[in-house]
Amino acid sequence: MSNPDGSERAGQSNYDSSEEKDWAAVKALFDNSKTTKKPRPPKPSNAVTIAVSSRTLFNMIKERKVFEEEGLERYVAHQLELEDQPFPPGVSFPFVKALMNVNARLRDLYPDSEELFDIVLMTNNHAQVGVRLINSINHYDLTIERFCMTGGESPIGYLKAYMTNLYLSKDSMKVQEAIEEGIAAATMFTGDSENELSDTQLRVAFDGDAVLFSDESEIIVKEHGLDTFFKHEKEFENKPLAQGPLKCFLEALGKLQRKFYAKNQRINCPIRTYLVTARSAASAGARVLKTLRSWGLEVDEALFLAGAPKGPLLQKIKPHIFFDDQMFHIEGAQELGTIAAHVPYGIGQKYHKGKRIETSDAEKK
Amino acid sequence: MENKKNHAGPLMIALQHDDLFDLNSVSTNTELPKGRAFTFIKAVQTVNERLVEQNKNESLLFEVILITKECSEDVKMKIVESVKHYDLEIGKFYFCKKEELKNTLQSNKVKLFLSTDRDDVHEALHSGISAALLYDQADHRVLKQLKVIFSGDVLGFSEDSLESYLEFELSEKQIETVKAAKICVKEFAVLIGQMRRRFGPENSPICICVLTTWGSRNVCASALKTLREWGLDVDEAFCLAGAPAHPILSIVNPHILWDGGFHNMRDLATLS
Repeated sequence: MSNPDGSERAGQSNYDSSEEKDWAAVKALFDNSKTTKKPRPPKPSNAVTIAVSSRTLFNMIKERKVFEEEGLERYVAHQLELEDQPFPPGVSFPFVKALMNVNARLRDLYPDSEELFDIVLMTNNHAQVGVRLINSINHYDLTIERFCMTGGESPIGYLKAYMTNLYLSKDSMKVQEAIEEGIAAATMFTGDSENELSDTQLRVAFDGDAVLFSDESEIIVKEHGLDTFFKHEKEFENKPLAQGPLKCFLEALGKLQRKFYAKNQRINCPIRTYLVTARSAASAGARVLKTLRSWGLEVDEALFLAGAPKGPLLQKIKPHIFFDDQMFHIEGAQELGTIAAHVPYGIGQKYHKGKRIETSDAEKK
Repeated sequence: MENKKNHAGPLMIALQHDDLFDLNSVSTNTELPKGRAFTFIKAVQTVNERLVEQNKNESLLFEVILITKECSEDVKMKIVESVKHYDLEIGKFYFCKKEELKNTLQSNKVKLFLSTDRDDVHEALHSGISAALLYDQADHRVLKQLKVIFSGDVLGFSEDSLESYLEFELSEKQIETVKAAKICVKEFAVLIGQMRRRFGPENSPICICVLTTWGSRNVCASALKTLREWGLDVDEAFCLAGAPAHPILSIVNPHILWDGGFHNMRDLATLS
């Protein structure tokens, strides 16, 4: 991002030091604020940044319909008409509230730390819809101070500019693009019914293969069958799997968890992580646990289903979000009221319910 | 309520010749090498072409005048030659002294004075001239779109949000500067708003952005509403709450960055 012409614009190191100056100035401004109603937003490089799209944060189904049936201009006009009406909450809303709760607990324990969640609204909407979005954020008193309304431009560059650690959207194409650019991302869907979720503990559930780990083992299952898979996993038990798109997000959660442990808060830690995998503990589970250990990561609960459906278990866990690479599992989770997010990565995209899809269909997914 | 009558007549912008041409490189050609304002001029010409495409008799077009402060006759000649050489649509040339700048701009009804030099812009703003930074585009790709960024921190200022500006210990004087800058840019905003409305939300040759660097989301909402009142529809909006702006600017890659001198003011705030 440094300029070819160095004369009037500073070189990279000057940029960094002027950035530090800027940040120090902003910090000072917020800290001097006489009515400290709002907490200071964290410096992006210290925070875990979650970018949510407007359609996942809020329920915009009706408005989306107007867009699809009547076009962009009518859509924008429609939004302006309803500007003072806040949107109803969307699929990522419970997740966002849970993040805010974790932040409140972190600020209690570490008042000066910037290792917090930072929630950014990342939307393709034109800025004119922005007023209604801001009104809605105000209505629910969400701590979302940063946003990006791209007016139709791709959000990918902006995701990087906002140092995004996780991106949630309803648009699977954007999610795919983000993953290809190395940003953890998942597609969310409108849920059927919702289970009552904890409002004191953020619960995040992850599938293993092709989510936390690469899809290398899944390829073996799909192409050579289960027996080969079991043999392979036993043979390579001590070789760590390669990382998957959401490994870094688990890592970020782990880092924040350790801040609670450091203050003796392990028992009521407001973050809990789950691994929910179709692998079985006996034959293929060891490799997974050893891989996590080699990465210095932990999950609070590792659940090996040995092929059983994930829906009922997730219904008991009640996560605020569940990540899986296979639509089959996403659908299973949703049927029993779990908020599920699809990670469009790896060999799983070419299969549906165990059968290989035609390439053209696979591209549509 | 803003007068919605169609303001006929051009939207006058002023550039300095040392932004349009690079006077530092040595060249054996008769024409001067291209300077930093080149992509801007090309973008402006694209907008004009699209406007005329829609309406042959369109009078609301960009008109660029070139200001040259002090230089030799030789350089003056080169400037005129170069403009011809590159086929640039420059309406007028003014060779004037620094002190005459304000009068020259006013008598030509210039709505925006552009410079790549922040101090120049700041000085102009202080003497009541509507001015903005001609942003140094990192790459010299010629875009089919003119991109303008307005500061949400300045535009979002209102009597309601006055309290939060005072809370952040901006002095009375700085507040006055913010208020004045906001008033100053209105004419430019109204005209470019009318231009923007000649096109729909998609495929427009003009892209209007609002960047709020430290103001809250309500300051940003206030900025959006202000521009709407002035008839200017915003395409992209960014609210940073103190996060570094340069990564965003690198992506937006604007031609014009109007921040009402706010950037300089923030530095003053830390010194006080």
